Amino acid sequence: MSMKDKIIAIIQELAAESGWKIVSDLNYETVLLESGLDSLGFAILVARLEEELRYDPFTMMDEPFYPRTLGEFVAIYERYAS
Amino acid sequence: MKAETLSGIVGSLCGDHSVVATPSVVCSVGKLLEHADELYRRSSVTTASRVALSGLSALSLMTGLVAFDGKVEAMLLLPVALDEATFDRLIASAGCTHLMDADGIRTLPNCLAGDTEFNVEGTQWLLATSGTTGTPKLICHTLASITRSVKRDRTKGAHFVWGLLYETSRFAGLQVVLQALFSGSLLIASESSEFDSQIEAFVRHGVNALSATPSLWRKMLMDARIKACPLRQITLGGEIADQQILDALRRSFPAARIVHIYASTEAGVAFSVNDCCAGFPAAWLRSEHSPIPLRIRDDGHLLIKPAKLPDGQEIARRLDADGYLDTTDIVYVEGDRVFFSGRASGAINVGGNKVIPEFVEQHLRCVDGVLDVHVFGKKNSIIGQLVAVKVVARSGVDTALLRGAIIGYCKVHLEKWQIPGVIFFVAELKESMAGKRERVV
Repeated sequence: MSMKDKIIAIIQELAAESGWKIVSDLNYETVLLESGLDSLGFAILVARLEEELRYDPFTMMDEPFYPRTLGEFVAIYERYAS
Repeated sequence: MKAETLSGIVGSLCGDHSVVATPSVVCSVGKLLEHADELYRRSSVTTASRVALSGLSALSLMTGLVAFDGKVEAMLLLPVALDEATFDRLIASAGCTHLMDADGIRTLPNCLAGDTEFNVEGTQWLLATSGTTGTPKLICHTLASITRSVKRDRTKGAHFVWGLLYETSRFAGLQVVLQALFSGSLLIASESSEFDSQIEAFVRHGVNALSATPSLWRKMLMDARIKACPLRQITLGGEIADQQILDALRRSFPAARIVHIYASTEAGVAFSVNDCCAGFPAAWLRSEHSPIPLRIRDDGHLLIKPAKLPDGQEIARRLDADGYLDTTDIVYVEGDRVFFSGRASGAINVGGNKVIPEFVEQHLRCVDGVLDVHVFGKKNSIIGQLVAVKVVARSGVDTALLRGAIIGYCKVHLEKWQIPGVIFFVAELKESMAGKRERVV
């Protein structure tokens, strides 16, 4: 499973658990804060991904960057995958 | 010497100078003073009155503060979203005689003397601590104590446009409002607390000074519209500022002065750090260039000794023999820096919102299928900390269904930030060596 598919699957799983209303068409261009995730939801997503993938890229970046789109978010996880 | 008053400060600014802009109105010094005067004359307050201010827009609250500071005995600033019982208890505890809300000001029937006594010069500014235990306490400031670290340089201030993101009736929001008033800067206050309209207003008015929690700054950087604001002053507070957010802000706004402040409702602004590094210099513990006397107690508690502290029992009981205040924040030294690791009480800070673990545990124990729980703060790179919980399920219970039941229950009974974002199912809960369960991971 690609990183993008893995992340989208987890977003959908969290949304189903917590009753978040997430846009149906999640793609690289989706703006994260307009996807139905608020910053608390985004924080929960990062925590869940850390459980699954065993890393949190936001603590590893030399040049910190906060992604605007899902594409940028996926790219950050791909960059730090070992 | 007679204490300074807010109307005196505002009155010393030029009358046609704009002090605050909302989407619907731009208010000048002259107008603000006129509205405040009208409010005062209409209100029938005396020097013995104690006025509660509740549910007011930023502009109305500013009008109230200008109208009553120096003219009444006390002003109680009630935060929004208080439950009715706490609201009544705080009004009674402060002995309020009047209430000013969105409908205007009125005398309170059956008012009794409050149960708190404060001995200060000038009008008392009573603020509620952000206790989520159900018992917020009253802290008594004065205009002097609450503006201790506010800059008064009007030549510099004239070039600043401050944006207001915080709730005005709390300490952090008041700091922004008073900073703008004292230095003659324009304040942009959105009428809505909705993030989108706030950011739109900041961009439209060219806000160049902004104070927010690290979590809110991360959100603003994700949103990216804030980059259109020519920020020159960036203030972080209310949560631990990590190196990542400081670096990200420096990259996005290379020309800005970036300051993280260490403050609380109880102690006011204790100190600020402007070297763009997380924590604060360990040299300050040895009094080298230290802004205030600081110590670390054997158990890791940070102790501080500000020049002036609010009056009252709540503060007095937290002072040691040398007059140092126990901040109940836990710190550790690493190399030449001192870093914050969390609250001694185990309180969890979710993006600036305080969550008491025991409170969440009590609720979770009500969920059918839960045998035992342990709530703790899990460090999070986006929002500071998340509420996490270890759950021991009753035998035979399907944990996937129980997870859904827990979230469903929490959504009805808890605030959004109190709901566990991370749920672990475990066979048993381990106690630490001291017999206590660790509250921070």
